[in-house]
Amino acid sequence: MDARDADAQDMNPHDNEPSRLAALLRYEILDTPDEHDFDDFTQLAAYICETPIALISLVDDRRQWFKSRVGLDVSETPREIAFCAHTIQGDGIFEVDDARQDARFADNPLVTAGPAIRFYAGAPLTSPDGHNLGTLCVIDRVPRTLRPEQREALSRLARQVIRLFEERLLTKRFAEQAALQHAILDSATSAVLVTQTDGTVARLNPAAERLLGYPAETLRGRPFTTLFAAADLQRRAGALTRESQRPIAADFSALTAPLARNGSDVREWQLRHRDGHLVPVLLTLSPILDGEQRLRGYLAIAYDLTLQAQLQLRLQQIAAQVPGMLFQFHWRKGTAGAFPYASEGIEQIFGLRPEQIADDLRPIFAVVHPDDRQRVLATIREAAGSVTPWHFEHRVLHPTRGQRWIEARATPLPQSDGSVLWHGLVTDITERKAQQAELDKQQEMNRRLLEALSEGVIACDAQGNLTLFNDLARQWHGRDAAPVPPEQWASVYRLYQPDEQTPLAPDQVPLFRALHGERVRNMELAVLADSTPRHVLVSADPLFAPDGSQIGAVAVLHDITERKRIERMRREFVATVSHELRTPVTSIAGSLGLISSGVMGEIPAHLQELLDIAYQNSQRLSELVNDLLDMDKLNAGQMRFEFRVQALQPLLEQALRSNAGYAQRYKVSYRLSNPADALVRVDALRLQQVLSNLLSNAAKYSPPGQEVELSSVRSDETVRVSVRDRGPGVAEAFRDRIFQKFAQADSSDSRQRGGTGLGLAISKELVERMGGRIGFDSTPGQGACFWFELPLADRVKEIT
Amino acid sequence: MKPLERILHVEDVPSIQVVTRIALERIGGFQVLSCASGEDALARGPAFAPDLILLDVMLPDMDGPETMHRLRELPALAAVPVVFLTGNIDDQRLATLLNLGACDVLSKPFDPLQLSERLRTIWTRVHE
Repeated sequence: MDARDADAQDMNPHDNEPSRLAALLRYEILDTPDEHDFDDFTQLAAYICETPIALISLVDDRRQWFKSRVGLDVSETPREIAFCAHTIQGDGIFEVDDARQDARFADNPLVTAGPAIRFYAGAPLTSPDGHNLGTLCVIDRVPRTLRPEQREALSRLARQVIRLFEERLLTKRFAEQAALQHAILDSATSAVLVTQTDGTVARLNPAAERLLGYPAETLRGRPFTTLFAAADLQRRAGALTRESQRPIAADFSALTAPLARNGSDVREWQLRHRDGHLVPVLLTLSPILDGEQRLRGYLAIAYDLTLQAQLQLRLQQIAAQVPGMLFQFHWRKGTAGAFPYASEGIEQIFGLRPEQIADDLRPIFAVVHPDDRQRVLATIREAAGSVTPWHFEHRVLHPTRGQRWIEARATPLPQSDGSVLWHGLVTDITERKAQQAELDKQQEMNRRLLEALSEGVIACDAQGNLTLFNDLARQWHGRDAAPVPPEQWASVYRLYQPDEQTPLAPDQVPLFRALHGERVRNMELAVLADSTPRHVLVSADPLFAPDGSQIGAVAVLHDITERKRIERMRREFVATVSHELRTPVTSIAGSLGLISSGVMGEIPAHLQELLDIAYQNSQRLSELVNDLLDMDKLNAGQMRFEFRVQALQPLLEQALRSNAGYAQRYKVSYRLSNPADALVRVDALRLQQVLSNLLSNAAKYSPPGQEVELSSVRSDETVRVSVRDRGPGVAEAFRDRIFQKFAQADSSDSRQRGGTGLGLAISKELVERMGGRIGFDSTPGQGACFWFELPLADRVKEIT
Repeated sequence: MKPLERILHVEDVPSIQVVTRIALERIGGFQVLSCASGEDALARGPAFAPDLILLDVMLPDMDGPETMHRLRELPALAAVPVVFLTGNIDDQRLATLLNLGACDVLSKPFDPLQLSERLRTIWTRVHE
């Protein structure tokens, strides 16, 4: 038909062609096997239109393919010669009454040969989106024309074919969806159950079968609630009833009631396994709604919590071993916070159950000691604000155990939602607190003890940090323990030698020496921190831990300032008295000497004896005075020595000569034996003084007629000079103090033996000033041997 | 060598002065002029014309060294040897006194019986 043909030409097939082809492909029907549903339509079309041939022809880019055909053997023909290619260009039926008479088809091979078409009528198969996918057409080998009702029927049939296409596509899509759902459900690890709206189980996946022990067919059709413990449903229904203020039954509605508000409900439940045991699950229940939002059933997804329950149990078991309470505290800005987890230890610490504080902090704060509450809150806020670890000690009023001290510490873990999750531990430290209190008490006691001492006490740790100055030490040093390095102790605390002039070297400080492991005993030093110098005797010891490692050092200072002052006064007194005595004593002794010598005239015999006694005692008095003055000079460091290197032997010989008078008086003899050839560096006068002292002592203590032996022996470095007597020896009790001032074996001694009791003390002092040392060997009853050793000066002489 | 005969003795303590004088007179056989102070010695010394001056170091007002210095300024006494007597002797002091021109220093207390002999020894040494 010309008009329709022109219409077809107007349409722009090229613009539509790609989307038409896409629409065709979407139905996924090309090259599919025959289907009876379609054959019904071709049969009907052939019957109604009274033609031998009817086709459902689909036109793709290069051919027309027949989904169904009646009266034709070929399944497709090229598009160029296809009558249908013309049909799909228009909206309505395309009809060719006699192809031989039609210029467009007269030499078409389908007309000239093959099926030898003379008549063609095709109704386009138009998809809902307006694309002509192909045709429903009828063909005859003779010319003819359709009646109007035949034409109308063909159009209607074409629409039904398209509807069938749509249906076929939907069915296919549905089957795919169903297969996908099956695949998802079957492979899901979570148990999935689908119920009807009334709660009857409709479907369950293999995971649900495994989880609950029921084959799908056994459970299908049974109420979902059979999987629940009645008591659990009862409790849940009760809670929902209280919440919603309307009665909720303890059946399926106890599960579905929250859905109206929340859309879905997630909750932990215990489901009953077919064999009876309970399976902990996290159950998500959601309504299944269709396109019109009608409720079609419910979807239940059960996540197996058995492993979590086991982990929970393990955590509980571990937590039970922890002395105290483990907790997890969840804090969100603007909320009080809650404890998602608290171990059983909470009973011991707070007298509470974990459930009591799962959503509520108040039970805990109720047992915190009222005096501590504010500070506990403040420190939590502070730690939460700064996300720093929290540590606090406070008191708790435990309902049965009374007041306890607890220590809490927790570490924050910021969450992505801005809240902070704390993990922590609370321990009961009541015992430790008590011990600490006891320790504090002892320390306080020690402190008071230190302050009560009349000694100064200073201590330092192993690193040399000064750790302790008691009151007196502070007072004496004019300052407290300060961070002063050991090398600066002497200068900072103004420590001097006893002369108050020479600063103490850093390594001379007693505490310094003790810090280096040395024990220091009664070292005298002067502290000049005060306006008046303070003299102290210091003993210092290293301090050791039980394992033997050094943990520091301690020095004890004994104030001898006053003692020194008294000593000095005494010395000054003795010196003054000695000075004052000397003149009168000299006069008396001189006068008596002159008289008893007879230069003043003949002495009557009866006076001579008394005069001798007076003269001898005045001489003794004179010696005493001289000794005292010598001692004073030695003490004051005022005695000067004129050292000269000289031979020892002449000095010994001279000493014997000078003391011959003594030997005579005590009726003993002196003998010089084995004199060593030695050079010494001495002050000759002072050495004579020493020798006189030893020789006169030996004479005094020897029995009459005995011999006193003076000898000298060289060794590598020294020469030893010995004075041996045959007297009673040195009494045991006297040995320790024989070289001390005013020492004589007993108080009667000085009267019997004469002497001042200063001789040995002076001798010791003199020998030591000359670089030597003095000593004695004695066995009581077998005499005594006093000796001194002097350094040999041979080498010195060689050098000089 | 002229023998030692005349001794000027300066000592402020009367008892020591007497004992010393008696010892020197009786044992040494010397002629002795005892003076109680430096002033006294300066006043009476030249007329006495001593062979030797025995001078105590510790004297009131004018001490021994000062007295020696003043005596030396008198022509009659300028060349007379001086021997000090002192109770407070140490090496440094001894050296100081010898440096001042004393020919010897004797320590107090001395043995009066030996004093004359020691002075004669010094006298001899000075004249050798």
